[in-house]
Amino acid sequence: MAGTRRFALAAAAAALIVGGAAQAQQPATVRVGVIQGLSGPPAITDFGESYLQGIRLALKDHEARNPRTKIELVIYDDEANPQRAVSLTQRLIQNDNAAAVIGTVNSGNVLAFAPILQRARIPLVAGPAIATDITQRFIADRPSFIFRCSMVEQFQIDAMLDWGVKTFRRIGLLHSTTGYGNFAAREIQEGLRRRGATLVATEAAAPGLNDLTAQMIRLRDAGAELVLNFHESFELLYRPLPRINYRPAVAGNWGLSSLKVLEIVGKEAIEGTVMGQALDLSDPKARAFDERMRTEYGAAYRWPVVAALGYDAGQVMFRAVERAGRPDPAAIRDALETLDGVEAVSATPARPFSPEDHECLDREHVFLGVWRDGRVVRLEPR
Amino acid sequence: MGATNLVQLLVGGMAMGAIYTLTAKGLFIAHLATGRMNFGQGDFLMVAAYLSLAALGLGLPLPLAVACVILALGVMGWGLERFAVRPLDRFGTGRAAGAHAWILTTAGVALIVQNTVELVWGKSSQYSPPLFSARREEVVTIAGAGFFVEELLVILAAVAVVGAFYWFLFRSRWGKDVYAVAFNPESAALLGIDVRRTVVMVWVLAALLAAVSGILVGPLVTVQPHMGLIFTVKALAVASLGGFANPLGILVGGLLFGVAEALSNYWDSAYGDLYPLLFVVAMLVVRPSGLFGEARADVR
Repeated sequence: MAGTRRFALAAAAAALIVGGAAQAQQPATVRVGVIQGLSGPPAITDFGESYLQGIRLALKDHEARNPRTKIELVIYDDEANPQRAVSLTQRLIQNDNAAAVIGTVNSGNVLAFAPILQRARIPLVAGPAIATDITQRFIADRPSFIFRCSMVEQFQIDAMLDWGVKTFRRIGLLHSTTGYGNFAAREIQEGLRRRGATLVATEAAAPGLNDLTAQMIRLRDAGAELVLNFHESFELLYRPLPRINYRPAVAGNWGLSSLKVLEIVGKEAIEGTVMGQALDLSDPKARAFDERMRTEYGAAYRWPVVAALGYDAGQVMFRAVERAGRPDPAAIRDALETLDGVEAVSATPARPFSPEDHECLDREHVFLGVWRDGRVVRLEPR
Repeated sequence: MGATNLVQLLVGGMAMGAIYTLTAKGLFIAHLATGRMNFGQGDFLMVAAYLSLAALGLGLPLPLAVACVILALGVMGWGLERFAVRPLDRFGTGRAAGAHAWILTTAGVALIVQNTVELVWGKSSQYSPPLFSARREEVVTIAGAGFFVEELLVILAAVAVVGAFYWFLFRSRWGKDVYAVAFNPESAALLGIDVRRTVVMVWVLAALLAAVSGILVGPLVTVQPHMGLIFTVKALAVASLGGFANPLGILVGGLLFGVAEALSNYWDSAYGDLYPLLFVVAMLVVRPSGLFGEARADVR
């Protein structure tokens, strides 16, 4: 009797210990928060949805490659509203125990919640926001928890101005009166001044405007051969052109590479439009990615470059989480900063970050793309 | 600015002006007969634009799509009068407390409508296919200036609707009923006019005018759930320009407003939308009864 009891107790104890050890061996799920602009004007949702498509595909690949480190995405829509973005960030930190965050579309929103994440010591991979100084503001706080995997406005403006000044004599600018538009206008005017050129005409337009006929008439009458398009509703500039008999070259930020713009403006009108790019579809790796996205998402996939950067942002984040192995923000941050061997789809290098540089893309990785026959390819220098 | 540019801006401005006129006439007729109007007139326009977009997207032929939208908005207009305006009748339209509650109820309906549209179609902006041309870029050249076929046809359609509206008001029996009710509902009732039916008809008509404006405006602008308010504001401005008592004044005021908008965008592209509204404010200070209105209302 006593023997059976002792045996039963020992068996129970053994079971508990083995069970407990197995529990300890089970890696905890790492929660990665994702804040994106998923509703509102198409200028926002296009970005947010495409970036998220890339992130989701990266998660799928991670799970296929290494199912041991479980990663859970906690996805929120900040509706392009800064207050909402901030409160969602706080929710991710306090309620959801996110160990890392990826997001968002509006630079204003990123600049609003980045300091919170820096203070809370939770790593952020910002994107697809493009404001020039998102990582620069924090790089001096060693360690900086703020990274970015996206286009950088300054780089694409530089590339555009270098090309524009060499190729055209008369350059005009159309910008919106929002913070973004005014900021871009200043950077362009400053950049042209440094290159010894000036704008022949600068036209502004409120963001909610429906018709840019008046502005385009003025640009035509000023003789602008190249029009720099920095208005949120990218496609509005093209609408009045047929009836005022004006066919300038158009260049703008990477928003012009969205398939939605092609859909709305039409192949003939968008032919020859130039924009900042970081994905060359004539590159086989990029083409393979393009095919995969089409298979995965069908008609919902419409923006190769943003989806590619979303994919790379997801890749770097998930690899870093894998290396850290546990929901430890500081370990994930360190893993991010020392990451190597990344096989990026965009022009992101194998070693994207360093203690001095938290940008996936650097100046040499940004080039100009051009619409040719319904596709965006690299603009070859003439 | 050359003559060609001027003409192009004028035509573009008149197309939008025609839309404002139609919307403002809806406000005018409701206010004429009942002393109240639909503060969600612009949002009714927005719903019509979305329904038109959906109908055309389903491949319905244009006349059928138009008929569906008009029917839907007619029902909405009836519903608005029945549930948001008629229950307030007991407050009258004088200085009694609650006499202006219709502002709140119609604005409330506008908010409900906005949120419903958001739920159904999402918050993102949409682009309407052209109504009258195969492609939006169809251009016709008249006297050296290029015009979009779409714009010209929108102006023509709006003029036709305004013409039908005038005929209704001044030539038909129903129009006389409306003016009789506007003058004095009690004496109209004594004369054998069904006041209740006339009032309902007027609100339905206002909604139908919003329907037509919504259908016509789709190809000209970006359709999104919050576009209604700015149309309501501009329609109010245009109706004020017309003095709220004179349909001809509203027509002229609407076209002027649209043209002023186009021209001011040319002169100052950053603040173009501001000047026409400032102009209306200045006009009302100088001449409160509007362009052609009398110093005293002519029907009350």
